[in-house]
Amino acid sequence: MGSLYSHFLPPDRIQHLAQKTGFTSEQIEHLHRRFMHISGDEETIRKEHFNNIPDLMLNPIRSKIIEAFFDKRNLGQDSTGCVNEINFEDFLIIMSYFKPLEENANPERVQCNRNEKLRFLFNMFDSDNDGKINLTEYKHVIEQMLSQNPHIGKELASSVADAAMLEAATICVGHMEPDQVYEGITFEDFLKIWTNSDIETKMNVRFLNMDSAIPLCR
Amino acid sequence: MEEWENVAGKLFSTWFTVVILVILLPSMLGVSLGITELYMKILVWILEWATLRMQRGAKEGKKVDCTASNGIIQRDESSSMVEEITELRKRDFELTDIFYFSKKGFEAIVEDEVTQRFTSEELVSWNLLTRTNNNFQYISLRLTILWGLGVFIRYCILLPLRITLAVIGISWLVIGTTLVGMMPNSRIKSWLSDLAHLMCYRICARALSATIYFHNKENRPKKGGICVANHTSPIDIVILAVDGCYAMVGQVHGGLMGVIQRAMVKACPHVWFERSEMKDRHLVTKRLRDHVADKTKLPILIFPEVWPGTCINNTSVMMFKKGSFEIGGTIYPVSLKYDPQFGDAFWNSSKYSMVNYLLRMMTSWAIVCSVWYLPPMTRKEGEDAVQFANRVKAAIARQGGLEDLSWDGGLKRAKVKETFREEQQRNYSRIIVGGDCK
Repeated sequence: MGSLYSHFLPPDRIQHLAQKTGFTSEQIEHLHRRFMHISGDEETIRKEHFNNIPDLMLNPIRSKIIEAFFDKRNLGQDSTGCVNEINFEDFLIIMSYFKPLEENANPERVQCNRNEKLRFLFNMFDSDNDGKINLTEYKHVIEQMLSQNPHIGKELASSVADAAMLEAATICVGHMEPDQVYEGITFEDFLKIWTNSDIETKMNVRFLNMDSAIPLCR
Repeated sequence: MEEWENVAGKLFSTWFTVVILVILLPSMLGVSLGITELYMKILVWILEWATLRMQRGAKEGKKVDCTASNGIIQRDESSSMVEEITELRKRDFELTDIFYFSKKGFEAIVEDEVTQRFTSEELVSWNLLTRTNNNFQYISLRLTILWGLGVFIRYCILLPLRITLAVIGISWLVIGTTLVGMMPNSRIKSWLSDLAHLMCYRICARALSATIYFHNKENRPKKGGICVANHTSPIDIVILAVDGCYAMVGQVHGGLMGVIQRAMVKACPHVWFERSEMKDRHLVTKRLRDHVADKTKLPILIFPEVWPGTCINNTSVMMFKKGSFEIGGTIYPVSLKYDPQFGDAFWNSSKYSMVNYLLRMMTSWAIVCSVWYLPPMTRKEGEDAVQFANRVKAAIARQGGLEDLSWDGGLKRAKVKETFREEQQRNYSRIIVGGDCK
């Protein structure tokens, strides 16, 4: 299926997107080509489209990552739940979560950026959107991550999750009464775990400036 | 028989002259003939053509991809080797792995430049041809032949050449610095010593097949300062020293290293410590402070992750990490990043010995890396060493698009112990990484 991309992004749309997301126009064009490639030249992407990316299939938390693209909370919408398909603008909005902060940003901006990124990750854990990561959700993610290794059984994953949850509780709540139940990691607790570290920079993906993107067609 | 000897002799001498003219002289003078760039372009072109031709030849009607690309070398975002390294280091808390995987997954979505051109089988072939340490898999006869040819070229042509260069480089370092050391102290002496050091390092870099791209040269470290860089492989020193003269810091060794160290110190002052001195943190800091205070001395080169010293010596690592920032003076951060495209510079010290590692370096097609010089930083009022360390670390990480490095500036990590074996815990990442390009 020879595909000459019939896409065309009008310049004012590019401008609008550039302002909204912070990418340069060359980067937007490049990402648009990528979007088209993933969607098979359609206007929107659905979850099945992500199955065609071989590198992604190797990733243990791929389902969480894919879900994150369709999560209304990440798309900046007020309601909760998932959408079925996303257009290019939504795609770019999710992309911008991984953009590194510009240099010389003031501390407020740094804090804001950090919160946004950690919120994105928090949402990945918190699948029922109750604002807390409870033990089940946590276990689920850990099991997914460990699922690639055939040597680690479910019980081990379970105990890892339990221990990690306990550690999180210790950091967040401190000493707990014997009958106190730790309900789950709230977003504030989540932030607390990561104070004093620039952990959000681990999420940075450096987008190069495309000097001259010359389409190479075979 | 005589004719053979004659022929062999002539061949050898011509080869030798070629080596000197084409490789030694330009690298000594710091001039680039552009051969390396040409070599890499040709290499990419050949290997790509071979990979595609072989796999796609049979499949007609393949989808025609229009990809926007400046060639396979240009990636849209940071390449994955450093992440793999960080992944394999000691990490304690489960939660951090989420960051790594989400980023990796994300990168796969954003750009799959290589896989966009190739299908996954082709990707395997590509990896087979370009990487030294890939386990051999039989895919097709033609590919095996090509791979064999590649191995032959690398081991029988490139390797002897590089070993020759390495020998020349090291012996030149010893001889050159000893000669310069005999001169009385003067400006000419320091200029000559710089020249001697630079030449030697340039030759050694060529020997290691390193192709280095420098950025922001205006921020190069100046005298009396401290150069701080992230440490990713044992050959970092050689790479940085190609473009500037630094005073090295390290432990006194015996043997060949000792000879080199003693020779180097004759030409210009480096800081070598006895083993016993290294344990005394205050002594170390004091000596370095004295060195830095003297503005005529070269900037010292420090890798805070393996402080003190520039060797991967894990005995005193924990003790001094923030010590490097307590010396004072101006810090010139440098960000170093390797592109694993044609060769992997990562050294798994538990798996391979140093000699094995060097051999792998010399038999790879090329080691490509980028060096960014960052603007100088000083410690602000009211900032303690830990915060300063974090600030510098963040700047370096940001520049290279690297993962935030785990320089332990007092980072509190939750330790999850006893419920699982750490080894098994690491394995899952190895499986992922094993399926990738390592």
